[in-house]
Amino acid sequence: MPIIRRQWTAAEADEWTREDWITIVISPLCYIAMTVGVALSVLLLWEGFVLLISSIALTVLMHWIIDPKLRAVSTEYETKQQDYLRELENNVRWQTTDKESP
Amino acid sequence: MIVIFSFLDWFWVGAFLLLMIGSGILFYRLGKRSSSDFFLAGRGLPWWLPASSVYATHTATDTPMWITGVIYQHGLAGIWYTFFSAWGAISSFVSTRIFRRSLAYTQAEWNVVRFSGLGSELLRGWMAGWQFFMNMFVLGWVGIAMGKICEFLFGWPTWIGLIAFSLVCAVYVLAAGYWGVVMADFQQGLIAFLVIIIVSFWGISEAGGPSGIIEKLTALGELDRINPFAFTGWWSGSFPTAWFATMLFIAILGGFGMGTSIDWYVEAQRIQSARTVRDASYSIWWGTLLGLVRNSVWAVSILAFFVLFPGLTSVEEYEMGWFRLGFDYLPAGMLGFFFAAILAIHLSTISSHLNLGALYATRDLYQHYVNPKASQEKLIVVGRISTVILLFGSFFYGLMMEDITSWLIFALWVMAAGIWLPNILQVVWWRFNAWGYLSAWIANLGFSWLVVWILPELGVIPELLDYQQFWLLMALGAVVFLPVTLFSEPEDMDHLVRYYIMSRPIGWWRPVRREAQRRGLLTASGDLNGISESALLKGNF
Repeated sequence: MPIIRRQWTAAEADEWTREDWITIVISPLCYIAMTVGVALSVLLLWEGFVLLISSIALTVLMHWIIDPKLRAVSTEYETKQQDYLRELENNVRWQTTDKESP
Repeated sequence: MIVIFSFLDWFWVGAFLLLMIGSGILFYRLGKRSSSDFFLAGRGLPWWLPASSVYATHTATDTPMWITGVIYQHGLAGIWYTFFSAWGAISSFVSTRIFRRSLAYTQAEWNVVRFSGLGSELLRGWMAGWQFFMNMFVLGWVGIAMGKICEFLFGWPTWIGLIAFSLVCAVYVLAAGYWGVVMADFQQGLIAFLVIIIVSFWGISEAGGPSGIIEKLTALGELDRINPFAFTGWWSGSFPTAWFATMLFIAILGGFGMGTSIDWYVEAQRIQSARTVRDASYSIWWGTLLGLVRNSVWAVSILAFFVLFPGLTSVEEYEMGWFRLGFDYLPAGMLGFFFAAILAIHLSTISSHLNLGALYATRDLYQHYVNPKASQEKLIVVGRISTVILLFGSFFYGLMMEDITSWLIFALWVMAAGIWLPNILQVVWWRFNAWGYLSAWIANLGFSWLVVWILPELGVIPELLDYQQFWLLMALGAVVFLPVTLFSEPEDMDHLVRYYIMSRPIGWWRPVRREAQRRGLLTASGDLNGISESALLKGNF
């Protein structure tokens, strides 16, 4: 099994997995590196260029990891959305759905 | 300073205002199709449109004033003050994903999706009312910032800048609702970003370029200002490392929750307007990133301003620094373009908060509590009336505000400190309930006034630094909401199972997940066990 999984079934993508946690770690690092990197690069300091390039590389890596999963989640969820929206409209109008016995 | 505009300058301003009003007219038909269109653009936007709206909305007229203030005081280290928006880093892939799956129009509505019973309804009403007034409040403080800028530039009384441009903005918000907001935001975001880059680099160039700034800072004995990690010690001074660490903690871990930043409530609308979960995630991630890049460029231009005008001590004087770079140094003919960009910055924020406040009033207050059977046409009319009420209310608020920075910081505290942890717990902990959350909100309102204003004034406690206030307010809040949660009943398990299946939240949800599996709704691997979604929603299991 590969370290980073890039093929997902809809149900598998719904679970929180290693790919999500790696993204959760990388994403703030991208922001920190980009914030400092841009400022120091505008000042033409070499540390800035190193951080800026690192943040771009991290951004590409993060999307490579999470994008297949987000696509799978989205594709699966959109098929259910209409049902959920109907429920939401019932709720706002105080209309209850008919409950049958379990 | 008084700026004199040429014909070309006024041409830029006039053309921009026509473009914005044109957006309203162009998208009028789309906006009036349904309340979903008027408030969420029909939930059909590709990620880059809400992303540009995230960026444009959070580039307000007071933003460069505030950023100028902290960078002028602390040098590049002050950039961490602006880092609170980095909650988007984790939120984009966690709470944004969970919230988008709930389909709730607003954060207030999300309360009845996540919680159940009377507590959830109280929360919905409370949050909707709070957000209606909070949006009015934001409109007021952004509006008065525009008033100050117009006074600074043209010598106009502040009320003119406060009122005149918000009225123009109201035209396209009233006409096209969120369609008008998001389409105008896209243009405004482009214009604003372009002009921020031009003015900032112009200012840097006037200061002698990057090397000139460093040379002048060295000569002033202020070279530490280019170090983003130059703090005033671990615990003491005006900007200690403890505050930096607290800011990172608040911003980054806050992404697991909903509402940990005041900006979340605006972003929630953008998240729901995205056409898929993936589009919602990217809209928040890229919109936030663009804002951070903007802050960094701004920060360096403020260093340029510092070397051009060192030693300013009056906040009123130096917080206008970035605007001065533009109006002092841009050539004639470009001044109007710069002012049009300031209008873009202003209108994008005003329009978003007008539409968002109207959404809470219409969806959560009017439709849910006053007229549940309202037709789509009626809801749009109510949306427009709410927009007008917000507009005039904001004029009242704006004229009451004098010190933008202290209000901004206090408002952020009221929204963030004592409910920061509950905002995360509601997402990640199944046992956290509506009563715990409601108690946290009420307690926080009292505690924040006490800790920030009243107790220091009475000499009961010393005046605390910002980061100390945060930890104290968080601890005081926990003393209230944890017992309330644990001594009250958990949410109804049927409701929690439905929420779990729909939103798939992260964190401590094992009892709910086990119950879903026991009922045959999930297999051990997590997939739906052949149960149709409609059966699930109707509770047929």
